[in-house]
Amino acid sequence: MATAPRPWLYNTFFKKNYMMLGVVFAGAFGFEMWYNSVMDKIWETNNRGRLWKDIRHKYVTANDDGDDDE
Amino acid sequence: MAPLSTATRALARSAATNLKPTTTAVRAVSTTPTLRDSAAGSSYQSPFKGSSPGANVPDFSKYMSKGSSNRNQLISYFMVGTMGAISAAGAKSTITEFLKNMSASADVLAMAKVEVDLATIPEGKNVIIKWRGKPVFVRHRTQAEIDEANSINVSSLRDPQADEDRVQKPEWLVMLGVCTHLGCVPIGEAGDYGGWFCPCHGSHYDISGRIRKGPAPLNLEIPQYEFPEENTLVIG
Repeated sequence: MATAPRPWLYNTFFKKNYMMLGVVFAGAFGFEMWYNSVMDKIWETNNRGRLWKDIRHKYVTANDDGDDDE
Repeated sequence: MAPLSTATRALARSAATNLKPTTTAVRAVSTTPTLRDSAAGSSYQSPFKGSSPGANVPDFSKYMSKGSSNRNQLISYFMVGTMGAISAAGAKSTITEFLKNMSASADVLAMAKVEVDLATIPEGKNVIIKWRGKPVFVRHRTQAEIDEANSINVSSLRDPQADEDRVQKPEWLVMLGVCTHLGCVPIGEAGDYGGWFCPCHGSHYDISGRIRKGPAPLNLEIPQYEFPEENTLVIG
């Protein structure tokens, strides 16, 4: 089938099934982190001005020190 | 009867053996030449006789990949792997979101712990705190009360428990203010033993919250608590 030497990408990632599985799971981990952060960013842009971090300065002043119990 | 049946059986057998070669001969004659005709260009041999437009194999060379087989293999494995990674991430997040749904929400977790400033409780006084919808008694015991709680013969009690098993710091007694009989709230600094007294059915608890007299079967329950700093108590 393959007469030419296989590229290093194939040899490192896909040649062995366990290597491919590892690459797939590592990729899934990275992809999930990336996807979550992107989606969070989109959601926060859509709700800008309505989040607690945007309106916090109106309610928590510096002398309160965030130590408000009730 | 017997000779007749054997004769017919032999006849049928001979007929069958005679028939077999002739039929194969007929098949060979009818099919082979037509196949030879149509199978001119490709290795594929059409099972249909004669030349019909459906019997011609189209030319697929236009759709064949021009790249090397290595490259194609790499691309297809990459696609499979990407698809697998995306579906693994999706499956993982589906499961975790379902499990997150079952865990306690933030408002429940916020109510789960109560912090008490012990510096405001003078010696020999009770404080009742609401914790998870239940009253919690906190008593700052005097040394005399601690000695009294320790002087009792544990084996004589209904629910034998030493005082040091019920407190972390002997001067602070923390326990749930729910009578173990039927769930009333006992009254502090009352009863025959200087501890708590349940007005509903007359259970007497001593200064360590142990049942001494009355219908209750068990000592007052001790919640989970800790002293993260001197003079602070966290229940829960």
